[in-house]
Amino acid sequence: MKVLIIEDELELLNSICSYLGNDNFICETATNFHSAIEKISLYEYACIVLDITLPDGSGLEILKELKKQHKADGVLIISAKNSLDDKLQGLKAGADDYLTKPFHLPELSARVEAIIRRKYFNGNDVITLNEIVVNTSQKTVEINNTLIDLTKKEYELLLYFISNKNKVISKNAIAEHLWGDDMDLADSYDFIYTHIKNLRKKLLNANCTDYLKSIYGMGYKFSIH
Amino acid sequence: MKLFVKYNRINLAATIIIFLLAAVAFYFSLQYVLIAQLDDNLETEQAEIEKYVAEHQKLPEVFTIKDQQIVFSLAPNNSNIKRRFTNVLLYDNVDNNVDVFRQLNFGIQVQNKFYEVKVSKSLEGTEDVIKSVAIITFVTILLILLVSFFINRVVLQKLWKPFYTTLGTINNFELSKQKQITFQPNNIEEFSTLNKIVEKVINKAQQDFISLKQFTENASHELQTPLAIIRTKLDILIQNENLSQQQTEAIHAANNALQRLANLNKSLLLLTKIENNQYEQKTNINFKSIIQNKLIQLNELIQNKNIQLGLNLEEVSINMNNDLAEILLNNLLINAIKYNVQGGKIIINLTSTQLQIANTAQTSLDTTKVFTRFYKAEQSAHSNGLGLSIAKQICDTAGYTLSYSFNNNYHYFIVSF
Repeated sequence: MKVLIIEDELELLNSICSYLGNDNFICETATNFHSAIEKISLYEYACIVLDITLPDGSGLEILKELKKQHKADGVLIISAKNSLDDKLQGLKAGADDYLTKPFHLPELSARVEAIIRRKYFNGNDVITLNEIVVNTSQKTVEINNTLIDLTKKEYELLLYFISNKNKVISKNAIAEHLWGDDMDLADSYDFIYTHIKNLRKKLLNANCTDYLKSIYGMGYKFSIH
Repeated sequence: MKLFVKYNRINLAATIIIFLLAAVAFYFSLQYVLIAQLDDNLETEQAEIEKYVAEHQKLPEVFTIKDQQIVFSLAPNNSNIKRRFTNVLLYDNVDNNVDVFRQLNFGIQVQNKFYEVKVSKSLEGTEDVIKSVAIITFVTILLILLVSFFINRVVLQKLWKPFYTTLGTINNFELSKQKQITFQPNNIEEFSTLNKIVEKVINKAQQDFISLKQFTENASHELQTPLAIIRTKLDILIQNENLSQQQTEAIHAANNALQRLANLNKSLLLLTKIENNQYEQKTNINFKSIIQNKLIQLNELIQNKNIQLGLNLEEVSINMNNDLAEILLNNLLINAIKYNVQGGKIIINLTSTQLQIANTAQTSLDTTKVFTRFYKAEQSAHSNGLGLSIAKQICDTAGYTLSYSFNNNYHYFIVSF
């Protein structure tokens, strides 16, 4: 699947591409308005990651151009502005989601995957990873064809890990995904540990392979091949 | 003391002193002139008597008319009667009272006899004149007082009205409320100059304020991208499988610091945006359901500290911005949990007039500083000291008051709608 990253900050562009471009995605890039317009006219993308403020034009214009050309590409806006107006404007103009800088790459990745799932599978997507089957529309998880009972947070956590499989995810990124940024770091580490411990126990009880690895001092990794 | 009261006092004092001095001067000069006039008359009398004596070789008949007496008395032959003017008290036969008289004494020889003549004229008329002078002076001073009082009350107050209007406008001016200030035009030069200068100063202050706020907002926005770069680089760095423990710890610490920086920046941006009135859209908000939702969201934190909840929530609909209401409740509730004691309590009362959030605590916060930006009760890495300032700013913007008190080991935060 191809994704297009439209971002004028080269270093940020590189980070996103190197994270997303590992296994699932083929990353294409555009660093300014004109090359972005050119690329969206020529190709179809599963998802476009769009920085709303570009040096030579507004990201909103790109959204309008997509609409004009009747393109169905999913769009995730990344913006330095955390304002509701911008968010509403972007969503109204046809974007699928909105992410404020500074974001964690696992978060970006999870959002991109969610957009693609919604766009291409009409929301009735079932993710199958070996013995794990996640139904994202019904929010259910089956292991070896047996439904397991997860709390809301455990489900979110599992989906987050699956969206970032084989990547190390820092505790900070997990905390922000589960609670936003209101939580105390120290508190949230304890909660993360508890949630992960419970999730893992439930998975193991259902005879699931132990994919969840704790990376010392850093975070967690869902290793699956 | 008001300027024109002060001015009037000086002015009045000066006027009264000048009037009194003038009255005294007038009194003396008038007295001098009138007495000189009387003396002239007395001399005329003397001349007439001497003429009569010279013609008739006898004294004229003495008759007393009003305000005038002539007395002849025999004097020793050789006596040298000195001609002199004096003021004497004499009984006035006509008026039947004692009056001050101007008297001329002189000697006259009739045949071989010497007589002393005393011609007196009453000073009563003169005194009357002087009395009128005093009365006129007194009345004038009284009139001046009255008129200046009137001028003070009516005219000056009317004249100074533009000045007080300007003062009132400046007094009601608030920099944070970006309201254009305008003054009524007036035709008094000083006041229109004052208004022009005030207008200029205020416009300048407003512009500076706006540009400062824009600067804060822009700076915060500009920081977001570098923060994003650092954060994503750290996310990529930890994918490396060969990191040493030391490197891992360094990255973790950097990640935590970055989180604080990002939160701080987010809070500053939020404060600026509230100040810039970027949350204007208001809707009717069900506070009760927001509180209940927040408590569900924060359930883990509450459980973690074994905090007991005491809820007394009425159905209350408040007209305010939805995002700000969420942030306000979020900040107050998180504080009530964060700064609570293990096994403590949180009591929330919601009525149509106020929201009261109380939580157990050990010591009071500094009531003068509690809403100050960057105020921290204890040095803590988990707080940026902006949560309560944001709550306060939200209440200020919405026209509510947020107050804090400490009582019986409870922090009370009260939002009065």
